[in-house]
Amino acid sequence: MASLSLRHVYKKYPGGVVAVSDFNLEIKDKEFIILVGPSGCGKSTTLRMVAGLEEISDGEILIGDRVVNDVAPKDRDIAMVFQNYALYPHMTVFDNMAFGLKLRKTPKDEIKRRVEEAARILDISHLLERKPKALSGGQRQRVALGRAIVREPKVFLLDEPLSNLDAKLRAQMRTEISKLHLKLGTTFIYVTHDQTEAMTMGTRIVVMKDGLIQQVDTPQNLYLYPGNLFVAGFIGSPQMNFIDSKLLKEGDDFFVEFGTEDTKTRAGVKYKIKLPASKNKDNVLEEYVGKELIMGIRPEDVHNEEELIAQFPDGIVEANVEVTELMGAETYLYMNCEEQSINARVSPTNTARPGDRIQITLEPEKIHLFDKETEKTITN
Amino acid sequence: MANRLFQSVIHQMKDAIDRTIGIIDDSGVVVACSELGKIGETANIDFMSASASETFSFGGTTYRAIGSAQAGEYYAFVNGVDPMAEKYCAVLAIAFTNIKYYYDEKYDRSNFIKNVILDNILPGDIYLKSRELHFNTDVSRTVLLIRATEASDIVIYDVVQNLFPDKTKDFVISINENDIALVKETGKDIDSRDIEKLALSIADTLSGEFYTTVSIGIGSSVDNIKDLAKSFKEAQASLEVGKVFDTDKTIVSYSNLGIARLIYQLPTTLCETFLREIFKRGSIQSLDQETLFTIQKFFENNLNVSETSRKLFVHRNTLVYRLEKIKRITGLDLREFDHAIVFKIALMVNKYLQANPVKY
Repeated sequence: MASLSLRHVYKKYPGGVVAVSDFNLEIKDKEFIILVGPSGCGKSTTLRMVAGLEEISDGEILIGDRVVNDVAPKDRDIAMVFQNYALYPHMTVFDNMAFGLKLRKTPKDEIKRRVEEAARILDISHLLERKPKALSGGQRQRVALGRAIVREPKVFLLDEPLSNLDAKLRAQMRTEISKLHLKLGTTFIYVTHDQTEAMTMGTRIVVMKDGLIQQVDTPQNLYLYPGNLFVAGFIGSPQMNFIDSKLLKEGDDFFVEFGTEDTKTRAGVKYKIKLPASKNKDNVLEEYVGKELIMGIRPEDVHNEEELIAQFPDGIVEANVEVTELMGAETYLYMNCEEQSINARVSPTNTARPGDRIQITLEPEKIHLFDKETEKTITN
Repeated sequence: MANRLFQSVIHQMKDAIDRTIGIIDDSGVVVACSELGKIGETANIDFMSASASETFSFGGTTYRAIGSAQAGEYYAFVNGVDPMAEKYCAVLAIAFTNIKYYYDEKYDRSNFIKNVILDNILPGDIYLKSRELHFNTDVSRTVLLIRATEASDIVIYDVVQNLFPDKTKDFVISINENDIALVKETGKDIDSRDIEKLALSIADTLSGEFYTTVSIGIGSSVDNIKDLAKSFKEAQASLEVGKVFDTDKTIVSYSNLGIARLIYQLPTTLCETFLREIFKRGSIQSLDQETLFTIQKFFENNLNVSETSRKLFVHRNTLVYRLEKIKRITGLDLREFDHAIVFKIALMVNKYLQANPVKY
């Protein structure tokens, strides 16, 4: 069993810097947990506390049923892979993977068994006699993973292991690491600042900011039901559109209004988008009537195709196209709608060009609303 | 070079000992032998299990490590496994341990570099010795000081030595039980960020593979061997300054010490006078942890009250109240840039004094 519990864990440095605050997380056996967030959010510190490389200031960490607060890192049954791994240049792949075990005086035949097994799992058996300089970036990365695997740990801790690789290799290694998790059947905790890595690899994602957990959920739930403005903006690429708006109520219907009254520079249009009744579950919208809030909508929920405009007439607005980016399978439209930036992910056959004023529709069912002051989600 | 010396001594001993005697290195290759034909042959010995004891026998030959058994670089051997062979082997090991020690002291490049960085050699002798050792004096080098933050059963020296095995360019020197200096040859086009990345890879390898945490101080890059001592001192200073001001940093580079460098060099009496002057109304100690944390967050958020209150999860007015309280106690209004910068420096000076520096 390699479940993991972090209970009210804090990391405070002398001098008052608080890197991690009240971190609570239960990780199940064999789970692939991703800690994601911007630089300095405390994700690596959290990982290092699990590893025992950083002392915790408060709280407790359990691996299985054992509290490991005072257990030395080497006795925690964990293995780590870091971003800045270094291979021993004069040693073969076999020796690179065996070196740590040799220093720990592991018997020779046991070292051989473990290295060969790790090489088989990583598909590098044919490279065991090579030296690092004769390996490609991806192969080196596998050797670094191999050095962790030979320790046969209960928990793998990976701290941005792919950050040094180029984009193509990173995409390839993402799949490799996911496969490795399935093959090894152990618990993985993976730290990254890259939301694409987080979304594609994890069974659950922990989004962090300023040392605090923002939300913990499956990738799909994080994407569809972000808990606050930060998560909504961090998860998803291109980023969710955020539009400063006001909530209005006419009869039983709720509307979000945005636009400008500045008729000198703009047409001075105010747009009103009617929200579907499902957005007012438990009457959450009532208290915001007449107040400023932030409307969020993902680029794929902004359309300019005629049939979709006809399908969602409640969300129609006009916007000026500023930039278009053809990505191959899709096109991104970067638009300006009454001083608000709106990005759309549309079909590559789209004919909109920079300078065009086009009609778009914001799919009302897909609108998210956020409290402007607390930045918490009002409705998804 | 050492092998020739070994062979010369073995050659002189061969008539005194009626056995085949010699030296093998840690990969089992015979480097010196009374039977010349055997030089270069490889003996298949499992040093891992064998080296646990001082003397061991294998395939009808007795071996003994030269120097310590743990860090056995060379082994003396004598043909036979009888008590006499053991005695001969012991005598050979003692003799060669001493020969190697004196040889290393005189000709070892690492030893030379160690003397240079520790200022144990006269400046004039540096060039003479460099010439003697065919040492390139005019290449860029940087000293990195690796300090173990806690005791570890893993020999950090071995790990670092294996990460930088090129003994003609990079030198790994054990300074004391916690400190290891790495003198790294760096090209002209390598900047400080590359060196920091290298330091990070050392720290990550040690913590990732051996669960050992280290702090690494980086001196500035020097172009002449005589300046290596300066680079070493800078690396030491970086670690000391980092310990006081950047407690959460693993890698501290001398070129990025910023204002901490200035404060660290101030006389403590001057620092005390400064603090007394700034905190006329009440001492900095009268501020509680929560207030200090608030101040730190306020600085981090560029003196922005709204942003700081959001980060602290307190109402804006609560923060304003706290700032007013600080003003009442210290006379400094942190919302004003001039006051804020004075307070920031005072906090750093206070940190410095709390680190118990030598009083002067």
